[in-house]
Amino acid sequence: MAYLLLIFFPVTMAASTFVLRRRTGLVIFAALGTVLAQLLIATQIPVDAPTRFLGITLTLSPLNRVFLLLFLTIGGFAMVGAWHLPHGENFVPIALLTLSQVCTVLLLQDPFITTLLLAATGLTAVLAIVDLPAGASNLVGTRAIAAALKYLVLMTVAAVLMYIAFVLTDIYRPGELPERISPARFILALLTVGFALRLALIPFHTWLTDLVDYAEPLVAALIITLLNTASLLVLILVFQSFPTLLLESEGAHGVMRLGAIVSVLVGGLLAVGPAPLRRTLAYLILYGSGMVFYGLASVSSIGLAGAIFGALNQTLAVTLLFVSLGLLERPDGRPPGVVRRDLLRRWPVAGSGLLVGGLALIGLPPLNGAMSQLLIYQAAAERGWIELLPLLLSTLFAGLGLARVASERLLGPAEETTPEEPLLLWEIELNRPAQRRLEPEPRSTAALTLVLLLLCLGIGLYPQPLLATIDEAIRELAFIRAL
Amino acid sequence: MEINWFTIAIGATAAVVLLFRDWRLTFAALLLNYLAQALFLAQQRFVPPDLAIFGLELSTLVFVKLITGVAVTLILGITALTFSREYGLENLDEFGLAELRRAARAAQRQRASAPFQFSDYVVPFWAGVLALMASLALPRIYPIGPSAAVDFAWYWLTLTGLLTIATATDLLKIGLGLLLCTSAIDLLYVAVVSAPEASGLNVVPLVLLSLINVLLALAVAYLSGLLYGRLKTLELSELYRR
Repeated sequence: MAYLLLIFFPVTMAASTFVLRRRTGLVIFAALGTVLAQLLIATQIPVDAPTRFLGITLTLSPLNRVFLLLFLTIGGFAMVGAWHLPHGENFVPIALLTLSQVCTVLLLQDPFITTLLLAATGLTAVLAIVDLPAGASNLVGTRAIAAALKYLVLMTVAAVLMYIAFVLTDIYRPGELPERISPARFILALLTVGFALRLALIPFHTWLTDLVDYAEPLVAALIITLLNTASLLVLILVFQSFPTLLLESEGAHGVMRLGAIVSVLVGGLLAVGPAPLRRTLAYLILYGSGMVFYGLASVSSIGLAGAIFGALNQTLAVTLLFVSLGLLERPDGRPPGVVRRDLLRRWPVAGSGLLVGGLALIGLPPLNGAMSQLLIYQAAAERGWIELLPLLLSTLFAGLGLARVASERLLGPAEETTPEEPLLLWEIELNRPAQRRLEPEPRSTAALTLVLLLLCLGIGLYPQPLLATIDEAIRELAFIRAL
Repeated sequence: MEINWFTIAIGATAAVVLLFRDWRLTFAALLLNYLAQALFLAQQRFVPPDLAIFGLELSTLVFVKLITGVAVTLILGITALTFSREYGLENLDEFGLAELRRAARAAQRQRASAPFQFSDYVVPFWAGVLALMASLALPRIYPIGPSAAVDFAWYWLTLTGLLTIATATDLLKIGLGLLLCTSAIDLLYVAVVSAPEASGLNVVPLVLLSLINVLLALAVAYLSGLLYGRLKTLELSELYRR
């Protein structure tokens, strides 16, 4: 019953909030209540207790439970953020529907169904990318439509590739037909490209940069955190379900690691180059995704622990980045259309959030990303300096990119100081235009940013409980033991 | 060698989708493609028949495919027929309305200056020829399905789908390419997973596959409506113009 509630309760609430979507406050409260109820239901589901429904097995592993709670928390944060940050008319129903789909993906073991559900999440997300606020007087941007179209095409192609791979795994028997191209390698290649598209690994990343550039920050945050991380968990499930794919194609691991290194290195290099704030954040996320994929592709227990912990940290850091970005881009009472360079002074909480989110992504101690990056470096070091060096260089580049964007947009001197001019002849105070009032940071969103910031710091200072859970989960993975 | 007419019908209709630009023609071809797939499934009997209609023994799966095809074509057809209607103009400010008028004029100019040219069909034609050669060769080099007809059908649908996306000049055509690709995996799943040595068909993936087809059609229709409402054209060149 709890499984069904977890899947269908958000769907019914998404339908209800869609009907009431113009009453923003009410809808956000209803959605927040739904997420809290979901969190309660998730804690009631017993771990590793499979149940059958319509011929499919539903079960929750300890690892997926951690991510389920994390995704629901992120969903709750998004609802709080939606109170003040710009979002489309249908954001709340779409977010609830996406949460339901992601919860289902985490409960399932069947690769066919999870692939189709991931495809469905992509189709749902398309609606959020082109969504305009209720009663908007402007037209939807052509760039947003182009970004949505690109996302739709690439996610569908990814689903097609993954589905073909899973059909092949269904009839594949190890060691058969030695004279043909190894099916294991072919399947692994299909899966790698399919998941590389979903995880936005370079050169399959263009949807992510467009998404970050043209979608609302909350929408980008939801897609990158929920959908990409869920895809990574599905990839781990695939390796767990079909360990022979990895066992029979040893050379392919090297290609996967090389792809991840290229992705990390290019992501870091792109971040150093001149680019606007949003684009730089996109490059930092690409760098982070590449690091996580490297950990997974290293197929070692240390690397996998780093990848899983890294995915968790990335989810928090990206949420922090986009909530801060949404705050920084709010009209602040100053003349619009000017690129501001004093954003940290103007919006201290949001500016700090952006800096901390960026630093967490590149793994600076004592933030949460540090330990996961360390594990990934350790996995790379086991393969030799030739793999460790590019990863370290990329981190340096990503750090330089963050420093560049911070100096360009955050750390500049205060800009709103206009000298008080003396009164002219016959002029009195009342004749003067009213003093411009600069808007303060909205309390709820500033509090949300602080909570995320503290979470990043807290996990960074005390990662042991999470690492212990991840280690325990990894010990149960057959493909790691076999390799 | 026995000729499988339903495979030829699948191939011909997918080729029409790849080659032609007029939505009236391509949508009709898509509907016929779904019909040909349903008949192909009925002929191959991957799933044991559980219905008897007019003396014919058919499985429910055939009807599911048929209903999916009709739903998808209806969604896209209704969207294409209602493009000329204006929605949500009441909320727009003067700038937005002026932008729409400008877009309408630009689209009119573009239509007037783009007469029918055979050269527009050269790339899709040769892409189709390459896809045909690959679809004939791949079932011999890398057979996956239970018969050569199945392998040809799914390879052809995948390749024409991908090439339709690659050579598309408008958004609806991209949608058609995506739908051909999803049809291909649908056919592959039914043919391969129903084989005795495979794990066996499950109803949930089958339902989800049909649902994905319908959702994909809805997403394409929604984006097409948005794009037409914004630029008064579905041309991708206008969408990507700076």
